Amino acid sequence: MRDAVAVRQGGRMITVERLTRKYGAFTAVDDVSFVAQPGRVTGFLGPNGAGKTTTMRVMVGLTPATSGRVTIGGHLYKDIPNPGRHVGVLLDASAQHAGRTGREILTLGAQTMGLPATRVDEMLELVSLSQTESKRRLRNYSLGMKQRLGIAHALLGDPSVLILDEPANGLDPAGIRWMRGLLKSYADRGGTVLLSSHLLNEVELIADEMILIGHGRIVAQGNKEQLLAGVDHKVTNVTALDNEALTRSLQAKGFTVTPAGTGLRVEAAPVDVGRAAAENAIVLTDLRSADGGLEDLFLELTSDTQRETVVPGTQA
Amino acid sequence: MSATAAVPHGSLDVSSTDQVSMLTLAKVEIRKALDTRAGFWFVIAILGLVVLAEVIYSFAADDTDKNFQDYLQIPGGILGYFLPIIIIMLVTSEQSQRNGLVTFTLEPRRPRVVLAKLVAGVTLAVGVMVLASVLAVAGTVFGMVTGASPEWSVDGNLLFNGFVLSNLIGVFIGFAIAMLIMNTPGAIVAYFAYSLILPIAVGILGALITSFEDVAPWIEFNTAQTPLFTGDYTPTGEQWAQILVTGTIWLVIPLCIGIWRLLRIEFK
Repeated sequence: MRDAVAVRQGGRMITVERLTRKYGAFTAVDDVSFVAQPGRVTGFLGPNGAGKTTTMRVMVGLTPATSGRVTIGGHLYKDIPNPGRHVGVLLDASAQHAGRTGREILTLGAQTMGLPATRVDEMLELVSLSQTESKRRLRNYSLGMKQRLGIAHALLGDPSVLILDEPANGLDPAGIRWMRGLLKSYADRGGTVLLSSHLLNEVELIADEMILIGHGRIVAQGNKEQLLAGVDHKVTNVTALDNEALTRSLQAKGFTVTPAGTGLRVEAAPVDVGRAAAENAIVLTDLRSADGGLEDLFLELTSDTQRETVVPGTQA
Repeated sequence: MSATAAVPHGSLDVSSTDQVSMLTLAKVEIRKALDTRAGFWFVIAILGLVVLAEVIYSFAADDTDKNFQDYLQIPGGILGYFLPIIIIMLVTSEQSQRNGLVTFTLEPRRPRVVLAKLVAGVTLAVGVMVLASVLAVAGTVFGMVTGASPEWSVDGNLLFNGFVLSNLIGVFIGFAIAMLIMNTPGAIVAYFAYSLILPIAVGILGALITSFEDVAPWIEFNTAQTPLFTGDYTPTGEQWAQILVTGTIWLVIPLCIGIWRLLRIEFK
């Protein structure tokens, strides 16, 4: 990475400052501020239509901000000369001329950035697109292949910052694992990665830092431990050899018990359920918190922005 | 982070990076005009049509009318209709095919991209014109085979006004319509409405209302341009004034609005 010298962990590579974007009466992004640090993968997480894409579009100057601003490495994106050499961007893998071959799309990018033609082959190899595949036209690509091509395009100019909108969309499980490894090692070499997703599990596995957005507002941010610090485990799934006996002992303690599948759902912490079982010498075959951890937190924090009104597991 | 504020954390050193040069941008745009099936075969089709028309002409025309100048007028007419389509496709595909997302991310200074597209469009037009002239030479030679003794001299006014200038105006018209409509099929339809339907409508009105015939060249660009490629290919002072007035209405104003729109449009 050419800019690696200037990149040190703990800095602020992407700085979003009080960003607001309005479309008439609709506020797509509402006073959003966060940073993405070099050497880390920052996950930008939110339900559909939460404002992730709009924020990223403002970042790269495709959409003007109503107020606030975004700087990348201290510059406004439009002030970065030959920006493809510094900031790799993938906003929509399908946003390419459907009649061009994958190779041609990369060649156009390489020529614009002033890179040698050999760079195209290097990138094709990096994202595991074969020579034959690279000569097919984009309209014949699967979504997963388009994503690989888009990632290749973003990495063409050997940038030190990556901005990726839903990069795992359409990738198969092996592809998602491959991308995770690619981005992790990219960040380990000092690169800054900001990636968005509406899938929590995906981001949870890869991101060092998470920004949760709902309804255009940041609802939480931090790493996994920080985000989960305030969550109480109040619901437990339990299965015992003698479910009836367990139900009686739990109800005697005043907990609400409802049957759930082959086991029980108890409105109590796992420790209380375990204690009740131990006191009555009931053998448990399964005991776990029913809270989805981050998932529940995510759904709870963004609940008023979710399209579905009934969300299982978020009675609290 | 305040404790280590002295270290320039997370900054991009862009001082050693040059801007993407205008030459590079224009070269990429030319490549984009020809690297799709639609673009490539469209250019081939135009040239093929020129060849076809010249062969038919060689057999149909009198031997005395088979001069180089006559053969040059054939591509002049054909290119006039089809060259603008090339630039319409080049500009509107940014929105219709959505690759504007990448184009304007790699060069966020949009006026530079607009200029590069214009340079690319004019370069392509000149290239096709040169090829068409070569075909006109070939056509004249073919005319000799079919029995003519051609005159090789060309009226400079025909060459400049009837061939180069009128085709360049067409390219700029295509550019303006493309930026205004920003949708490939829509812009092509609008272009043909402008270049085919509008002059016919004006002609009909002129035939019905005698006074309209005098007004038409002042308000309709195609009509005003007619002296460029007919007669002695030399517009009179009044006719130049008509070209200027209608050019402002049909070319300069749409071009300005089109550029204004392209600089502001949100590519999605």
